[in-house]
Amino acid sequence: MIKNFIISGSGGQGVLSIGTILANIFMLGNKFVTYCPCYGAEMRGGAVHCEINMSDDELLTLQNEKADFVIALNQMSFDKFISKVKEGGTIIVNSSMAKIEKTRNDIKYIFAPFTQEAIKLDNIKIANSIALGVLSKILGNLTMENVKKAYEKILKDKKELIQKNLDAYLLGYNYIQEKEYA
Amino acid sequence: MQVYSIPNSIKKDSKFTFCKGCDHGVAIKIIAEIIDELNLRENTVAISSSGCSVLLYDFLDIDCLEAPHGRACAVATGVKRAHRAKGEEKFVFTYQGDGDFASIGLGESMHSALRGENITAICINNTNYGMTGGQMGPTSIMGQLTTTSPLGRNKEYHGFPIKTAEQIALCEGTKFSARVALYDVKNILKAKKTIKKAFECQLKNKGFSFVEILSSCPTNWKLSAQDSHKKIAEELTKIYPLDIFKDTIDD
Amino acid sequence: MIEKSLLKGNIAIARAALNCGCSCYFGYPITPQTEIGEFLSLEMQKRNLAYVCAESEIGAINMALGAASSGQKVMASSSSCAVALMQETLSYAASDELPIVLVNVMRAGPGQGYIYPSQGDYNQATIGGGNGDYKTIVLSPSSVQECIELTYKSFYLAQKYRNPVILLVDGLLGQMAEPATITQNPYPDIDTSSWRLDGAKDRPSRNIHSLEPNQNKLNQHVLKLYQKYQQIEQSEPDWEEYLCDDAEIILTAFGTMARSAKAICNHFREQGIKMGVFRPITLYPFPYKRLRELSFKAKYIIDIEMNMGQMLKDVRLGVLSNSQISFIGKPVGDWLKKEEIINAIKNIIKEQYASI
Repeated sequence: MIKNFIISGSGGQGVLSIGTILANIFMLGNKFVTYCPCYGAEMRGGAVHCEINMSDDELLTLQNEKADFVIALNQMSFDKFISKVKEGGTIIVNSSMAKIEKTRNDIKYIFAPFTQEAIKLDNIKIANSIALGVLSKILGNLTMENVKKAYEKILKDKKELIQKNLDAYLLGYNYIQEKEYA
Repeated sequence: MQVYSIPNSIKKDSKFTFCKGCDHGVAIKIIAEIIDELNLRENTVAISSSGCSVLLYDFLDIDCLEAPHGRACAVATGVKRAHRAKGEEKFVFTYQGDGDFASIGLGESMHSALRGENITAICINNTNYGMTGGQMGPTSIMGQLTTTSPLGRNKEYHGFPIKTAEQIALCEGTKFSARVALYDVKNILKAKKTIKKAFECQLKNKGFSFVEILSSCPTNWKLSAQDSHKKIAEELTKIYPLDIFKDTIDD
Repeated sequence: MIEKSLLKGNIAIARAALNCGCSCYFGYPITPQTEIGEFLSLEMQKRNLAYVCAESEIGAINMALGAASSGQKVMASSSSCAVALMQETLSYAASDELPIVLVNVMRAGPGQGYIYPSQGDYNQATIGGGNGDYKTIVLSPSSVQECIELTYKSFYLAQKYRNPVILLVDGLLGQMAEPATITQNPYPDIDTSSWRLDGAKDRPSRNIHSLEPNQNKLNQHVLKLYQKYQQIEQSEPDWEEYLCDDAEIILTAFGTMARSAKAICNHFREQGIKMGVFRPITLYPFPYKRLRELSFKAKYIIDIEMNMGQMLKDVRLGVLSNSQISFIGKPVGDWLKKEEIINAIKNIIKEQYASI
């Protein structure tokens, strides 16, 4: 089984952080994984996205035109990547920073106000982890042990942020009900 | 009483292959004497360059590495840093012509000076490209006839020459920069003293040291050895004054 | 057990270099390889090793030349158009027999091109842009794990043969992270005491130079280099075969393109078509002999590259059978898509394999 992911947003939204964490979660789950960050020409505030491929077998196709799952953290990335969602795939959108709009009927949409939820948790910067929690719920097969390990690894120099991010992740994980997504 | 001897750091079987009246021989000999006097022979890696100065390793009985044209200071940087990575301080100097140091290699030369690389660069300035037959170089003086300035160097048409020792003195990492000449015994002794000072700058781990040597090129200047030296004394030293432009070794 | 971690190709190369005793690094920033220099800037300084942010790529490679004369393990890294700037010194290093490891994380050309993926430097690396008769050993990894292993091998071969080695890396691989393990360097250290320059103490003075005014000596020098290259061509060709034993169709590809080729091969195998993939790991010495052997069973040899057919020439030199040799490629940009390649292959083989 191969699954492809695109996580997108603008510089400063933590796109690459949750990308790395997701890739690490897969690695800890003994999957084959590739993680590829892509920056715009701008150093700050520009478009950022990363592509993650996950597979049970050796990954041979490294670049894919489309993804099974897309996370879009703002309007710009929503507009850019909506066409990159595979038929039957899912897009997870930060409705705090993008309009709720469904132009395709061959994919699943999940809109949630990640930024507003993050502000409620007193830290706007953890909106990304809420989004990752939502994705994780949909994927269904990530163990909390590996999620925790991945956060601990990536945030080893900012230990105080680990628990906050895990809280955000869990908030995201519990945010959507099974039926909403069905 | 011994009046003359060949320095230990000169190869015993070496034959003088430079043109008659060329100052390269004198320059290399005084460098060899200084290496002997400072007891550096067994701890030195010299970097030769392109042009007549490449032949350094034919004369000096020390470890020598040839650099691509203009890159001697970069190569010297690599040598110096590599040994330092092993915890060893080697004495590293370059021996270059003015075309090599100040034209094609100006970037490498000046950046080594700017970094304060703890190496010594010796630049033979004979105001032309000697080995290729006397073309206009970065140091050819106004009005100088060369094979590529047949009507004489002209500021409108060819632009200005570089005063290398003065320019290198401006770099913060340069601790010593001087210009010397070899046209008479007095100046040869002075040159030796100056080069020795530059070498000592490196031995004291102070930073970049540089000596430009005004040298004769009788073949391409189409002058006798004697007249070449007269030209240096009377003409070139007016344009390229002999001086120490910077000495902050003891600062 | 050594733990796997998610490593970018660039970082994997830098860490492997440190791990096998590289003590000198010189570089100048250029995307997409800058992280190598960024990573090493701190790590080298912490260990009191040699690191210079050079004034230019010309400065960097010449510092590497100087450092290599000390007999230590020396690395420089750069990308395509800036590796072009270094070609003169590679020719010197080959003539001087100085071991330098040069990493080229490729971007697209010609000229400044852009940072898009491309494999456009096969010719630059294997044929070389320097003057005279010389060769550079060229290794091509296809995964992050192999970036580590081939970095070790690059240092080993450079010192074993006293010759520059280029590690030719796809830009995609430099930037991409995969789980990988920093393994132990499996190669022995080579004694450099017989030739290195470290001061003429208790031995005659040495000099290393490429200038040789005596034509007989220059002739002999080049002939001696070629004896060495012959030995390299005998001993060092390295390659990977994937399902080649019964293959009627062989795909040839290097670097990460070979991974795509395997995916395509799997696709055709599922349809009962006997396809295999041949991936040279050493681009010089190219594994001509093995490709030749395999080609006698193959009806088709299809070379796939992210360029306009640079390795194709070596494939043609290797194949002496009547196999039909074709090329699928594209110079710049997104990696050739699986479907594009499949369609192109179908088009090539349709006469003999009408059923697909």
